[in-house]
Amino acid sequence: MVIAFVTKTLKNHPALIPLLVFISGGTIMSGTYLARLALRNPDVSWDRKNNPEPWNNIAPNEQYKLFAVNMDYSKLKKDRPDF
Amino acid sequence: MAHPSQLGFQDAASPVMEELLHFHDHALMIVLLISTLVLYIIVAMVSTKLTNKYILDSQEIEIVWTILPAVILILIALPSLRILYLMDEVNDPHLTIKAVGHQWYWSYEYTDYEELAFDSYMVPTQDLLPGQFRLLETDHRMVVPVESPTRILVSAEDVLHSWAVPSLGIKMDAVPGRLNQTAFITSRPGLFYGQCSEICGANHSFMPIVVEAVPLKHFEEWSTLLLQDA
Repeated sequence: MVIAFVTKTLKNHPALIPLLVFISGGTIMSGTYLARLALRNPDVSWDRKNNPEPWNNIAPNEQYKLFAVNMDYSKLKKDRPDF
Repeated sequence: MAHPSQLGFQDAASPVMEELLHFHDHALMIVLLISTLVLYIIVAMVSTKLTNKYILDSQEIEIVWTILPAVILILIALPSLRILYLMDEVNDPHLTIKAVGHQWYWSYEYTDYEELAFDSYMVPTQDLLPGQFRLLETDHRMVVPVESPTRILVSAEDVLHSWAVPSLGIKMDAVPGRLNQTAFITSRPGLFYGQCSEICGANHSFMPIVVEAVPLKHFEEWSTLLLQDA
């Protein structure tokens, strides 16, 4: 029902198509990044009983950020003590 | 360092600051182009002799002026995000220095190998030698080896301060009870000046920062000399 409404509107006002594309693209990108931060960021703890401090579980050469511009994370040395 | 009537950034002394300079040029150029276009349109609309000015509907131009700004914004966002991630990267520093803010001086601790620590007070104006810069010189400079990745851990002993050196592209708040990490590489030897960047009391404007980048041999001689004096 919503889709029918949207298609009818866009057929009558084609200038709104780029608006819909960019706004939905932006919403999807920011929503995905927010979800990635919530679920994958080692600073976030959902399960206080089983995984209270996820920042302690990162491997020394694990890339936890989205992009790596100048850094080859597999080449990082692991020079800290094991616990 | 800054010079009188300066409008732009100081010359870059680190690769990150170079990136920031180029990005600023890119973003400013886009802003200037758009502003010029808008100014021209305003002048044209106001001074035209046409009488039928109030067009109510045009699908084509609406499509253009939706897509074009979106593309421009993406062209600004991509380099910006790239620099953001670049600045945050772990870069395996060769040296770690702690910069601790006090009211109203900085203290630097080089504790990687030996316990080397000293305070850095501003040189009062009446004690300046000819050629020195007012409110920017300190009695002890933070010496670092040139072209060597250096990590700075910034903290404070009493109130908020901020450790900033514009030509290296660094500003990091000094929060009591907290260690903030930043890192830099100096591209060339020289003296790089900065000032405390968080209001911290009466002498907030009088606790500058001087980073002195020297070849590694000179750095080793300097640290040996300071350790002997201590």
